[in-house]
Amino acid sequence: MKKHSSMRRTFAVLLIIGLVSAMFMALPVFAGSDGTEKSAQTIFGLEDLEGKIVGVQTGTTGDIYISDDAELKLKGVERYNTGFEAVQALSQNKIDAVVIDDQPAQAFVAQMNGLTILDTEYVKEDYAMAVQKGNTELLGKLNEAIAALQENGTLQTIVDYYIDHSGEGYSSPKGAEHPNGKLVMATNAEFPPYEYYDDNNEIVGIDADLAMAIGDYLGYEVEISDMKFDSIITSVATGKAQFGMAGLTVTEEREQSIDFTNPYYTGKQVVIVRKSAGAQRETIIDRFKRNFVQAGRWKMLLSGLGVTLVITLFSTLFGVLIGFVVAIIRSTHDKTGGLRILNIIAQVYTTVIRGTPTVVQLLIIYYVVFASVNIPKIIVAVIAFSMNSGAYISEIIRSGIMSIDEGQFEAGRSLGFNYAQTMRYFILPQALKNVIPALGNEFITLLKETSISGYIAINDMTKVGDVIRSRTYDAFMPLVTVALVYLLLVFIFARLWGVLEGRLRRNG
Amino acid sequence: MILEMSGIQKSFGGLEVLKDISLEVDSGEVVSVIGPSGSGKSTLLRCATFLETIDAGEIRYMGKPAAATGSQGKAVYVSHSELNEVKRYFGLVFQQFNLFPHFSVLRNIMDAPVFVQKRPKEEVHAEAMELLRKMNLENRADAYPCQLSGGQQQRVAIARALALKPSILFFDEPTSALDPELTGEVLKVIRQLAEEKMTMVVVTHEMPFARAVSNRVIFMDRGVIVEQGDPEEVFGNPKQERTVQFLRNYQR
Ligand SMILES: Nc1ncnc2c1ncn2[C@@H]1O[C@H](COP(=O)(O)OP(=O)(O)O)[C@@H](O)[C@H]1O
Ligand SMILES: [Mg+2]
Repeated sequence: MKKHSSMRRTFAVLLIIGLVSAMFMALPVFAGSDGTEKSAQTIFGLEDLEGKIVGVQTGTTGDIYISDDAELKLKGVERYNTGFEAVQALSQNKIDAVVIDDQPAQAFVAQMNGLTILDTEYVKEDYAMAVQKGNTELLGKLNEAIAALQENGTLQTIVDYYIDHSGEGYSSPKGAEHPNGKLVMATNAEFPPYEYYDDNNEIVGIDADLAMAIGDYLGYEVEISDMKFDSIITSVATGKAQFGMAGLTVTEEREQSIDFTNPYYTGKQVVIVRKSAGAQRETIIDRFKRNFVQAGRWKMLLSGLGVTLVITLFSTLFGVLIGFVVAIIRSTHDKTGGLRILNIIAQVYTTVIRGTPTVVQLLIIYYVVFASVNIPKIIVAVIAFSMNSGAYISEIIRSGIMSIDEGQFEAGRSLGFNYAQTMRYFILPQALKNVIPALGNEFITLLKETSISGYIAINDMTKVGDVIRSRTYDAFMPLVTVALVYLLLVFIFARLWGVLEGRLRRNG
Repeated sequence: MILEMSGIQKSFGGLEVLKDISLEVDSGEVVSVIGPSGSGKSTLLRCATFLETIDAGEIRYMGKPAAATGSQGKAVYVSHSELNEVKRYFGLVFQQFNLFPHFSVLRNIMDAPVFVQKRPKEEVHAEAMELLRKMNLENRADAYPCQLSGGQQQRVAIARALALKPSILFFDEPTSALDPELTGEVLKVIRQLAEEKMTMVVVTHEMPFARAVSNRVIFMDRGVIVEQGDPEEVFGNPKQERTVQFLRNYQR
């Protein structure tokens, strides 16, 4: 009878979870999330932008051009931190168009419904390398290398890496040899994504990597020389540098002093606008597939789940150990006055941990404590979360110990048990039984708390959901799925814990 | 002498609870301690059983010193191991029983003999069963404390204390936490122990019991022993005014 009703309860809860998820999934359909319902396409060319609001990514070429462009007679320019935010604003009707690099524009439009790229591009620039006038030998070699690298896809790999943030980028093939000597490349490393200093203070970017690839292809070592932008041409013209590469646009004026290779890249700024409604509507199933089946992204999610579980389980384990030790130190001090120094340490520990945000603790342990130690990030996370939960668990266990009647201690002592034995045989077993529900809660809290692991670039379940979001430009599906997985985990755990509690209660 | 306490002083903060108390208990003696609430009876037992430390005075069991007044007038206890030796001589039965709720009746009784005294399990088990029979609880060996009535629990607690074979057994108001109809079964067990010449000190409010069972009655008030002697003397013909008053309140 009892079993029956508890099964029915489980079923009811699962049903509710199912319904809630179904509701969530259906929500964007009702809400007409892409905003394509009401508006038909109104912008077909650059001239239609008059009186409109255009979004750009702050600091990009698009931003620079559009901000100086009086001819368009725009109503205003909205600047966003990322191209994605700009495009999302467009799709939500907040702005009328987005000016953005051609490459990412293609990706956005492919992924999001109801958007299109205008046929006329906004600006187009050919980037080429500069060589000393008359150095036809080098010019010929560079042109050959550019053609070859375009042909074999290396150039695209580099562009994908820096513009789309996809793929591995370029690295020199193993055993690349440079028998032909050294080429000095003049550049101005302040122009991402073409050339800039990365976190390791090295010059990277499309131009830098392409130069390296060209060097590898031609058998030259390439040395990058960073200088002022207006020194590049002079430097090449005087032969101080063998070539210049800095997102240089081919202009007649420059051709007076140096020779240009064939363009290796055409930078295009295009305009994304909303297209007419009634375009194909993505079904929930397609949307699910796009998020999780495409590119095998479900595997990412699964491995994220694994990471979350590993961090949670190990942190709970060590947290309980720490909690036990701290609780025993503190209650021993409270009861007997002993362990004074340890008690002070334990008190400082719990105060600090409970008085500071978990994220800050995680960051401190990663960036400060283990700053110069190279250990896997998962271990860092386990250490941080163990210490964190240890403090809370110690308070839970301590309150359990304190809740045991003083008479139990006295009974133990009057029978000849010493303090440690009394604690171990009589007090702790009762204390633990009393705090089982609180410990279960702490586990659930910890499980959810590990979602901040992304702060130190761990791909836990939450982070993976966010990564999928940034790949598919769909916030809803991956995040809600992640939320549901957490919910399910918590639900299953709470059930199991409940069974354990019930069993303990029955045993006296 | 099994127990000799002399010049015991004990204060809590500024409150003097025991003021120069002396108590000697001989083998086979049953001593009842009576007195108003707050007079220091429990504190006396707790000092005798080392649950509290005395401020000054002397305690000996079987002639072995446990604490003595040192050069600065403060009580000094003997070493840890010597104290453990002395602890084997006594047992204590609490007002609130203090059984271990997570252990069965049998385990409650057997734990200390097996783990503290390191005696063989089989032997202890046989003795424990014998004690339970004596307490009229032989069929409750596997029950848990919460399944027993208060009177049964207190009898288990007595068995638990006896399993360590103490030379003297202290009781602190063993029936005060019980419903009136259950006090009889506990008092009966103590009476039986008295007949077997078990040495006992019983703090109690059961005057007829104290009068019938004990060899000596001690009346305590405000931290001093006001009067002591043969139960017939103390109950029948009290010498001190405070004793008279106390007993008069009880007769009503
Ligand atoms: N641990 C303690 N701390 C402070 N005061 C105490 C403590 N134990 C007992 N007392 C005080 O000592 C006095 C005697 O208490 P107690 O020995 O329990 O008396 P009785 O058992 O005769 O009722 C009371 O005033 C009580 O409040
Ligand atoms: Mg008392």
